[in-house]
Amino acid sequence: MRLVHSSMVTMQKMALLAMECRFDSLGLGAAEKAAGAKFSGAGEVEHEAASIEAAGHAPGGSPVEWMAGAVDKRKLAILGEGTRHDVCASTFSPRSRPLPGICHAFTQDGRCISLFKTLYTNLCSHQCGYCGNSAGCKSKSRGFSYTPEELARITLSLYRGNYIEGLFLSSGAGRDEERITERMIDTIRLLRQKHSFSGYIHLKILPGSSESHIHEAMMLADRVSINLEAASASHMSEICSTKSYESDILQRQRYIRRFMTKIMSEEGISILPAGQTTQMVVGAGSESDEEIFRRAVFEYGEIGVKRTYYSAFSPQRGTVLEERHAQPLWRERRLYQMDWLYRVYGFGKDEIRCAFDDNGFLNNSDPKQAIARDCLDLPLDPNTASYPQLLRVPGIGPKSAVRVLAWRKRQPIGSKKELAALGVQIKRASPFLKINGWIDGTLEMWQA
Amino acid sequence: MRGDWNFWFYLSMHRECNERLLARAGRMEWAELELSQQKEDIRIKRMADEVSGEVHRMKAFVRLSSLGSGALYGYLKPRHKIGETVCDHFARRNQGMMVLLGNGRESWMSYCRVGRIWREKGNGLGEGLERLKSALQIEDCRHNDAVPDNLDAEGIWQAYYDSQYCPERKNLALYRRHMPRRYQEAAGLRLVQNKMNATLEDFLSKG
Repeated sequence: MRLVHSSMVTMQKMALLAMECRFDSLGLGAAEKAAGAKFSGAGEVEHEAASIEAAGHAPGGSPVEWMAGAVDKRKLAILGEGTRHDVCASTFSPRSRPLPGICHAFTQDGRCISLFKTLYTNLCSHQCGYCGNSAGCKSKSRGFSYTPEELARITLSLYRGNYIEGLFLSSGAGRDEERITERMIDTIRLLRQKHSFSGYIHLKILPGSSESHIHEAMMLADRVSINLEAASASHMSEICSTKSYESDILQRQRYIRRFMTKIMSEEGISILPAGQTTQMVVGAGSESDEEIFRRAVFEYGEIGVKRTYYSAFSPQRGTVLEERHAQPLWRERRLYQMDWLYRVYGFGKDEIRCAFDDNGFLNNSDPKQAIARDCLDLPLDPNTASYPQLLRVPGIGPKSAVRVLAWRKRQPIGSKKELAALGVQIKRASPFLKINGWIDGTLEMWQA
Repeated sequence: MRGDWNFWFYLSMHRECNERLLARAGRMEWAELELSQQKEDIRIKRMADEVSGEVHRMKAFVRLSSLGSGALYGYLKPRHKIGETVCDHFARRNQGMMVLLGNGRESWMSYCRVGRIWREKGNGLGEGLERLKSALQIEDCRHNDAVPDNLDAEGIWQAYYDSQYCPERKNLALYRRHMPRRYQEAAGLRLVQNKMNATLEDFLSKG
């Protein structure tokens, strides 16, 4: 509702209203309370043996100093760096009005920054060969850890300044993953309950977390995820000797699915609006793309993940896999294309298998093109083809397919120009289309 | 296809929009407009897309600073008439806080509480800030040690932003495509590669 008053009255009225409820969104009661609260500061741990509890306390740092901006930038940077290879940046959550994702910045590698992605601690007892924070890493940086209050404050501050849409909280396992999980849950509980934080929260479930902690996290977060990292138990053993693929990871994913179903059927409440996701490191082990695809299909079907993310392996200094070659980024891209074909375009498993070579790898070319060459026997007439058939033509996506269907209700499609105006990429599509009985395909184009 | 997209609303905020275009757009559904090949319809579509794109980028790129504990302000100099819409967005996001956006010539202020919005249009960010400070009885907005969330958000952000870059994935072309310079300037955003320290005076001297 729009109110029009004389400007000064409106301004004063707004100011009065704002002053009345200035602590509502913080939930602290008053600034005095905040100043008296026991905030611990920017701490760091010199040795891994030091306890996580000690990591949050800044020697000599008073609460007021901490609040006045004394956040350790080095800690921010190192714990932030720890999540660089976590690909998920989605903030879509039907909890509130669904909005398109807002990207608040992009890094110079073109990736979106919409969340404050950070580790709770970079201390870890696992021996993952691909990870710079693993216990076995020779050039590991110093140990750092947040406290729940500190992390909640930083998140709120960035959220209020419109730098982020929410928090993506991951962590090393510390010496005891249960304890770290507890602190991570404390952080998001503080945000949600004490500070009435309405932004997006993505929480990483640590391998081996207890069922009760997982349930608690699910009640507070928009999305939880547990990384598979490898396509199978045998490949997992190639890259990590301390995690059990079945009990530490798959079993936890099943807990999440079971609890979502249970809450929905017993209480009719939909929790975890953005669902659960997972991620695999591509090329750290020796798995083929086909094995990765089979695992992704399992995850979508049996576990009910919303998305599977793929992160191309790049060797980290001091790790066991330091000597292994980095995977080309095109491999990651082709896996996403394949994933998209399965999940969004509705391609069948058997169709997608046409895109793999004899060794089970994708080539550096569009998998949809390869599938079309193998599976489309005859060119399609866009005036008679069904929606699924149109989707199988390279250069036609869901949007342009819908436009083609809507257009041909008015008048038949008679030229490539018309198709181009509907958003079809003619160069890629024309070898597979028959317009007015005329086929534009040549042997060269089919092989392109 | 954006079935329920209110393209008329976005079209009305375009700087070149006129009543004739609005009337024409008002008679059409989006699905119809999207398929139309008529020159004027294509223009309407392009104009609505331009405004929608600017609104989206400003929601992302405008940065807000605290003015005491009851108000937020930021720089915004849009190409189209979207100031009020963007300001409302931030007011809804920060319920119970006054939000002031603007530049040297015009400003917008919104306040949202329990779903109800109050608005005011002003003559510039500098003037709006002065009035806001006196209304909120703030002496100097840079010295609010009692404010519980008075962290150096810009410094925290810069340290975090720098940590997220993977050199092995460097792709400046993609970066520039996603963050066009004109939008960064419209939002008063310091180019993220530069680590300059902006102050309140920087905002006030713009525009």
